[in-house]
Amino acid sequence: MFALEFPPINEILRWREVAPSLNKVGIIAVAAALIAIVVFILATRQDHRKAPTGVRNFAETTVEFVENGIVMQTMGRDGLGWTPFLLSLFVFIYLCNAPGIIPILQMPATARMAIPAFLSILVWVIYNGAGIKHQGFGGYFKSVLFPPGVPKALYALVTPIEFISTIIVRPFSLMVRLFANMLAGHILLVTFALLSEALFQARDKVLVPFGVLPMFMLIFLTGFEVLVAFLQAYIFTILTAVYIGGAVHPEH
Amino acid sequence: MLTAVITHRGENSVQVKLVGQSTGLVTPKIEAEEGQDMGPNPIAPEGKELLWGGLSFVVMAVAIRYFLFPKLKKGMDDRYAGIRADHESAEATTAAARGDVAEYEKALVAVRAEAAAKVDAARQTLDSERQAAINELNSRIAARRSEADAALSAAREANRSQITAAVSAVVTRATELSVGRAPDAAVVERAIADAMAGGSR
Amino acid sequence: MEALARLAAETVDTVAKTAADEKNIAAAASAGFAYGLAAIGPGIGIGYLVGQAVSAMARQPEAAGMVRTTMFLGIAFTEALALIGFVVFILLKFA
Repeated sequence: MFALEFPPINEILRWREVAPSLNKVGIIAVAAALIAIVVFILATRQDHRKAPTGVRNFAETTVEFVENGIVMQTMGRDGLGWTPFLLSLFVFIYLCNAPGIIPILQMPATARMAIPAFLSILVWVIYNGAGIKHQGFGGYFKSVLFPPGVPKALYALVTPIEFISTIIVRPFSLMVRLFANMLAGHILLVTFALLSEALFQARDKVLVPFGVLPMFMLIFLTGFEVLVAFLQAYIFTILTAVYIGGAVHPEH
Repeated sequence: MLTAVITHRGENSVQVKLVGQSTGLVTPKIEAEEGQDMGPNPIAPEGKELLWGGLSFVVMAVAIRYFLFPKLKKGMDDRYAGIRADHESAEATTAAARGDVAEYEKALVAVRAEAAAKVDAARQTLDSERQAAINELNSRIAARRSEADAALSAAREANRSQITAAVSAVVTRATELSVGRAPDAAVVERAIADAMAGGSR
Repeated sequence: MEALARLAAETVDTVAKTAADEKNIAAAASAGFAYGLAAIGPGIGIGYLVGQAVSAMARQPEAAGMVRTTMFLGIAFTEALALIGFVVFILLKFA
């Protein structure tokens, strides 16, 4: 009726390569890393004795958010050594999510599987490594596979579940959560943008005014995506903190 | 072994070709066309993106972990320590000032007590002097008054004796004239004393 | 599920239906069902979770920070199911 041609999903994820093997997602990832590094360099350049302003204030607020909102809430004081890793994770994911709503870019780099997969595998390696380092190989796997306080007979049931949930489901859900949230948001924005465009250009002039409805929805969803971009970065980081905390201190 | 290649052209025409596996002519061509159209797989991670994303994250994480974060954190800690030291020194200064104020107030109290004592002493001497003066004055007044009283009573006594003498003379004369005989002086005197006591009432 | 997919496939105009078309139609229909069904449970779960978290925060405002963190963790775990449904949807529909 509206002659709405929705492009296949591959179409809205396809980007020409700017340089050999460097496409938009790669550019966004590199830009995210560069922006973070530049912001932190500018922040460290400022005189630290004065009250922080501008970039330094921003960087310090982020650091304090990660310290107080993520590390202290999940790992406690012992986990403060993990702050730099969690901070870079948070900042990188946020800066990869944010282009989803920035005009011209309009593509969250995390809506492609590559970056979430890389990060969650990295997190998997790190929390298993931290657990093995702190409790020894046997101790770590004992605390993971045979959690204390479970009746002996139940181990037949608990151990496979724990193995699957800790070793397989955790990185998978971490990866899929970030990827699917961002991809769903991206598809939603594309859908409403296409809908309002189709209505604005409808051959039947009666339909043209109705184009503002999906447009308002688009604006609302863009605001929602701002929240989602932040929330997904926060959730990825806090789950990482929980996993690392659990691997390092199994009694908690 | 044969492979059936079904091509769909136009409205209703379906072409079916049976191709031997060895020829392998048709299949790659179709795949190539599809590959051009389809774009990337929406789920599978792409190698180049994995490479770029992973590389940039690792570079960033290393830079933050080993250079930027420690520097920033050190600055923050320095500033917080500085603020805390400033706070403490300010508190020490406040305490010192408070001690000074307490000392000053103590001195003030002492001075005030001294002043009050002096004022009291002065007031006491003043009071005693005044009392002495008043007493002296009062005694002088009392002496004067007793002198005057004595003079007055002496005069009154003299008057009274004169009057009594006069009246007794008169009464004696009058009685002498009327009775012809001089009355007893004691009787006259008693009568006069009675009359005067009654008159002076 | 399969029956519904077949039903959807049968209602579509049946002119020139090749094996590939049939597969696409079945995939599209089951993809829709996959996502729709996957969204039910997490929807209920997240609603219940957030409601409980809000009442906890209202009762003990001083514990709001801890409750909020735990709430986000719970949402993340619950939501994962819906997102897996979404991924299955994409896999069925496009991959």
